[in-house]
Amino acid sequence: MKTNKPLILLIEDDPPFRQLLTTTLENQDYSVLSSETGREGLHIARNQAPQLSILDLGLPDIDGQEVIRRLRLWSELPIIVLSARNQENDITLALDNGADDYLTKPFNNGELLSRIKALLRRISTTSESDLKLFQVGDLKVELHKRKIFVDAKEVHLTPIEFNLLSILVRNAGFVVTHRQLLEKVWGASYIGNSHYLRIYMGQLRHKLESDPARPRYILTEAGVGYRLNDEES
Amino acid sequence: MIKTEPHVQAKPYVGLALGMVIPLLLTLVDWPFRRMLTPSNILLVYLLGVFFIALRFGLWPSICASLFSAGAFAYFFAPPIFSFAIADQENLVGLAVMLIVGAFTSKQAENVRTQALVAKYRERRASALYYLSKELAEARLEHEIIAIGVRHIYAEFNTRNTILFPGQHGRVCYPVKPAFAISLRGANLEVASWVFRHQKIAGHHSAHYPDAEAIYWPMNGSAGCVGVLVMEPISRQRLFLVEQHQLLETFVNQVIHTLERARLAEQAKEATLKMQSETLRNSLLSSISHDLRTPLATIVGAASTLAVDEERLSIDSRRNLVHVIHEEAHRMSDLTTKILEMARLEAGEIQLNRQWYEPEELVGSALRRLDKKLKQRLINVQIATSQALIFVDAVLLQQVMVNLLDNADKYSPVDQAIDVSVNTASSSVLISIADRGLGIPVGFEQRIFDKFFQIHAESAQSGVGLGLSICRAIVEAHGGEILVINRSGGGSVFQLQLPLLECPPTIDPEV
Repeated sequence: MKTNKPLILLIEDDPPFRQLLTTTLENQDYSVLSSETGREGLHIARNQAPQLSILDLGLPDIDGQEVIRRLRLWSELPIIVLSARNQENDITLALDNGADDYLTKPFNNGELLSRIKALLRRISTTSESDLKLFQVGDLKVELHKRKIFVDAKEVHLTPIEFNLLSILVRNAGFVVTHRQLLEKVWGASYIGNSHYLRIYMGQLRHKLESDPARPRYILTEAGVGYRLNDEES
Repeated sequence: MIKTEPHVQAKPYVGLALGMVIPLLLTLVDWPFRRMLTPSNILLVYLLGVFFIALRFGLWPSICASLFSAGAFAYFFAPPIFSFAIADQENLVGLAVMLIVGAFTSKQAENVRTQALVAKYRERRASALYYLSKELAEARLEHEIIAIGVRHIYAEFNTRNTILFPGQHGRVCYPVKPAFAISLRGANLEVASWVFRHQKIAGHHSAHYPDAEAIYWPMNGSAGCVGVLVMEPISRQRLFLVEQHQLLETFVNQVIHTLERARLAEQAKEATLKMQSETLRNSLLSSISHDLRTPLATIVGAASTLAVDEERLSIDSRRNLVHVIHEEAHRMSDLTTKILEMARLEAGEIQLNRQWYEPEELVGSALRRLDKKLKQRLINVQIATSQALIFVDAVLLQQVMVNLLDNADKYSPVDQAIDVSVNTASSSVLISIADRGLGIPVGFEQRIFDKFFQIHAESAQSGVGLGLSICRAIVEAHGGEILVINRSGGGSVFQLQLPLLECPPTIDPEV
């Protein structure tokens, strides 16, 4: 069965929920392959070449984290993980293992669809040239020129602030975990020093946001990480 | 008659030697004065010596001194001099009196001495018991009580010891806690089990298991044997003296009673806890059944209408029904989350994942969670630019702020602002969320934080009455406090006080 519809692999053990997501996704013109277990899911991922996968972290056979690790050994397949609320540690671990995004149950289907769109968009635009200019609301970032404008006024950032912002820009719309930011900007030995990250993120918010206590661009996801908002809401 | 311990008395041969030496010394002293003193006076001097020996060294040394004094007196002073013969009848009488006085005095003195010794022992035992009771009275935990018992038995009886208890399966087993330096190691569990079953003393030189190295002593409580005391027999004589035996029994009984008391208290506490958790479970169940049934009824009804009457419904009605299902499902989801959260907090499963955060970031993320709800509402946030980092669990603290902001939004008019402020006091950080709502009626300031408590129960906005108790549980887990004060000009202020436990970390400025 060859179609040009994007193929989505859904790994979810709860039948009604699987049924619901399948219906929702097929209505949005995606093809869906679903599996109840992690093993079967990995098998499908290997043989059917899906464009994206949705993975529930609470699987009966193998731990969802293990599924992510095994997938990441050989594939760049985008992964959205689903988990219950209050499981920030599992979510963070999944993201650090290589998942791209997450949703906590219960979620609105609209939310899921926009995450899927964003991920599929990211696959097709991975070249640096697309990152030449990032713009959302009044914020304009020209990474290659190292220039940042807010409301048409140039803002000067320190090297570390710029590094942080550039990582967020490269992952615009996606959550970046605390660990990933600490590792990329300060190095692996700084993973325990999360206060560095908080302080610099605070400085960045004060330079870019009109109201730092109600940020529009640099969004905090408590217990997980930061997300650069890429759509003006 | 009480046996005194040999080492407490002066060594007997010292007494005997002095019994010989002192009369000779007195002879030397008396010799120059033999012309001036009558024999009876000289006898009195000897009597003084005998008296002294009798007082200090007891019967045999005093008899020895009497005999030597008599010999010396007869030889040197009683005519005829330099012979043991005594010519004068009076001197014979004097000698006899001296012997009788010596014997009598020494007996009396020995009695007095023994009584003093007994009194000293009694006092020592009493004070040992006093200190044991005093320490035991302050002990609460089983392992503390056992430690005190082992230590005091070691101090009083000078013997390494340990106390064994039955484990899970009812058989005596080795202690789980690490041993002290003074604990006895290597007790024989077979002997201990036997003692535990038969409640008789066994081990070293006793009727049962005489080959065992240690002494095994049953600890009998009010409800049978509780455990077994195992002791090294350092000084058997010490241990098997009647008084010592009684003292040890008293010691062991004290320990047993304290243990039983602690266990009873523990059981009572468990029973109370069980009752509390029962009550919680019941109230949880009733609240779940009531608060979840209502939205569920709506959802089931709306969905069945959609399923059955799909063709006959107008577009608008269908949209309404779908909207109702959506809304009610969200309400259910919120309730479930809160109930689960409370259950987790209650079960003590909450492990704080504390890290350093900027309060501004936490406030921001809480406001963002409520973005949709607070669209129409003006929010004033006041945070000092130099506000230090706070050491908290971000997810949980965000939950607290979300609950408080949500309440503030629910219970105050749409055109009134909510004021959020963060201030640093001397030893804590204060986060306040102030509204212009109804305020809290007087007398309810504490009760609103209780589980399932609602001022306006059954009102349209009512939840389950868990939001604030979740807040309190989380803040208290952080070692902080949450309180509400009525605001001048109407409304209420909810205040979180989070203690500053340590200095916030600083970073090296960027080069």
